[in-house]
Amino acid sequence: MYSEQTARVELQPMVDLIIETRDLVKKFGKFTAVDGLSLEVPVGSIYGFVGPNGAGKTTTMRMLTTLTRPTSGEAWVAGHSVTDEPRAVRRSIGYMPDEFGVYDDMRVWEYLDFFAACYDIPENERKRLIVDLLELVDLSHRRDDMVDKLSRGMKQRLSLARTLAHDPAVLILDEPASGLDPRARVEIRELLVELARMGKTIFFSTHILADVSEICTHIGIIEEGQIIAQGSMDAMRSQMQPHREITVTVRDADAAEVVRSLVTPIEGVVSTADLEPKGGRHRVRIDYIGDDDGVASINRALTAANIAVLGFVEETRDLEAMFMRVTKGIVS
Amino acid sequence: MTDAAIYETPTTREVRLQDGAGTLRLGALVYAGIAIVVLLLAATAGIRVIPNLFDLLRGILLARYTGAADTALALVFLMTLVNVSAFLILMVGVTARELWALPALWLLVGLNVAALALLGYTPSLVAIVIAAWAGVQLGRDMRAFRVNPVMLKELRGRMRGVRAFLVLSVYLGLMSSFSMLLYLIYNSLTRASGSAAAGEVGRVLFMGVVGIELLLIIFIAPAFTAGAITGERERQTYDLLRTTLLASPTFVIGKLESALGYILLLLLAGIPLQSLAFIFGGVSEIELILSFVILMVTAVALGTVGIYFSALLQRTLSASVRSYTVIVATMFIGPFVTSIVIDFIIRLLFESGSPLVSPLLETILRYANLLVTSANPITAALNTQALLIERQAVGFWSFTLSSDGSTIPMISPWVLYTIIYLVVSALLVVLAVRRTHQTEF
Ligand SMILES: Nc1ncnc2c1ncn2[C@@H]1O[C@H](COP(=O)(O)OP(=O)(O)O)[C@@H](O)[C@H]1O
Ligand SMILES: [Mg+2]
Repeated sequence: MYSEQTARVELQPMVDLIIETRDLVKKFGKFTAVDGLSLEVPVGSIYGFVGPNGAGKTTTMRMLTTLTRPTSGEAWVAGHSVTDEPRAVRRSIGYMPDEFGVYDDMRVWEYLDFFAACYDIPENERKRLIVDLLELVDLSHRRDDMVDKLSRGMKQRLSLARTLAHDPAVLILDEPASGLDPRARVEIRELLVELARMGKTIFFSTHILADVSEICTHIGIIEEGQIIAQGSMDAMRSQMQPHREITVTVRDADAAEVVRSLVTPIEGVVSTADLEPKGGRHRVRIDYIGDDDGVASINRALTAANIAVLGFVEETRDLEAMFMRVTKGIVS
Repeated sequence: MTDAAIYETPTTREVRLQDGAGTLRLGALVYAGIAIVVLLLAATAGIRVIPNLFDLLRGILLARYTGAADTALALVFLMTLVNVSAFLILMVGVTARELWALPALWLLVGLNVAALALLGYTPSLVAIVIAAWAGVQLGRDMRAFRVNPVMLKELRGRMRGVRAFLVLSVYLGLMSSFSMLLYLIYNSLTRASGSAAAGEVGRVLFMGVVGIELLLIIFIAPAFTAGAITGERERQTYDLLRTTLLASPTFVIGKLESALGYILLLLLAGIPLQSLAFIFGGVSEIELILSFVILMVTAVALGTVGIYFSALLQRTLSASVRSYTVIVATMFIGPFVTSIVIDFIIRLLFESGSPLVSPLLETILRYANLLVTSANPITAALNTQALLIERQAVGFWSFTLSSDGSTIPMISPWVLYTIIYLVVSALLVVLAVRRTHQTEF
């Protein structure tokens, strides 16, 4: 184990990764659910693990949480190998599965007390801990209620509190927001941000892009068991940025024609097209590859040619579009 | 366990617990070895190839015992088996970090010291050394031992609210009405036939109540435990537990304790009813105690069978079916059929007055009979009671062979029953722990 670890450190001395997998493979019989996955989750990040249903997110997480053995490949959590040091891994993670049961015959505080005891926290510390945890997830007022009487969102928050009982370095959350109503989703999202601020690394899976774009610092996209894109949100955005769509609105067809002929020769303009006139106004769509300065210079060129520009809008590429573009052709 | 254990850097506490458990396992193994040797020696002495071997062995192994030399050897054998099961149970208790483990460890030391002092049971020297050593190892970290969180959780759930109260009330209500019914039936029967000995009424009542309790245990002990682990799987709570630091022995023992704790409560609640029999007389305190021991051992044995299959299988239903099948086959039908066969052979051989039967063959048959009688709680209980009434024998007694009139030492079935099933239970718990420990592949 030690030789392996030093080897790993030598290979990647600069990045501080709290979760790392190398060519992780999980087969169920002939079916390959996870196919050579290499993840890198930096310390302190909020990492969105995005992919459609059946992509292998849950399977990956079950390997990271020592519940399932990888068929091949390696994975480390907080520097511990998931196959060789499962207890050390368990000590450093808080895990929330996608589907989990809560005991129906327990009170909220008993639920937390039980799990804290499972993490070997002495009884005299547990009382204080439970108060703190309930406060954090805003369930103090439900302390003595039965767990199965809670709403789904509350159960999810309670479960989140449970994952925090032993103050783990990293939270592994499988679809934490699925099945929640919009309000509960926002609450969970805020809670995750709050936890990240407390210094926890959050590695969570989702098939809903909105979750990712709002709070994530990092993102990994998985499809059919393989990572197809991974990195910080900023890097991902700028990687997508060069390809822009600019829509110019003018008064009539002639002006539109002038705009098209004017911009077509500009370097970086891939194509132009007339869009359906809207409200009697004509619109031209410009496909452009270039940076912000380039966009500004197109704008300037139009103004210089004395064209009455009614609108000059760059479509913001949201994550959805980015996701569609990246996964294009891999999955229908 | 898994290969993971090789790499993992355990905490000091984990190392200490592992060491302590290892020492205790050594104790169990040593005593299993001693038991086998004693058994072989007893067999050698029994066929009398070496003269006075019994006396010699008594001198070495149980010097202060004043009874017959062959009885002494039987006693040594049983005490050795008790040590085996005690070490096994303590080993599991230590790995599960049970609060009772340390006191029980020192209790074992104390009992062995007493056996040495009172009976001259020399093999206890090994137990004293091993158990005391484990006690010293473990005593350095008293805080490692704590209330089992799983047991606490289960009991909290089970004892909550009206349900537990209702169950207990219904149970006691049924038991009382049944006793009442028994009494009325018995009363009217004896009145019709004339004399009504109060003692008889008391005995019938007592046996009725114990019988119901036995039935109850047979039904609920495996039912409680067969769902213990599979139930967590089915409710999707098992994975949560497996990602915590909860050790599998703690989990398995906690489940077992909570089931047994509940049964203990039911049994304790039934004691006043059993004691009603005292009013009529005909039942002694020793019978009450022995019935309690047999019932509790039955609960432990059936509970561990349930736990074992719960660890082995995926579904509660299949675990229950397998538990009941195995229990009925090995604890009831198997011993029952065998005992009928043996009984038949014995009768065939001896009641015809055949002089050809050797004392050796008869000895073997009698012991085989004792063994199968002791394998089944019903025959064990009935025979124990019969012995108490007919011979006032609680433990050992001498059996006179029909073949040559010599005597062999016999023991009341409840002792053997208790020892057999405690050893089996401890082994099943160890297996269940192993099974839960393995990660899914
Ligand atoms: N225990 C299993 N046995 C067989 N196939 C499985 C098992 N677990 C998951 N799979 C398959 O592996 C694929 C990935 O599943 P999963 O990891 O749950 O995807 P996700 O969480 O991304 O929706 C799915 O096609 C699923 O059917
Ligand atoms: Mg999933």
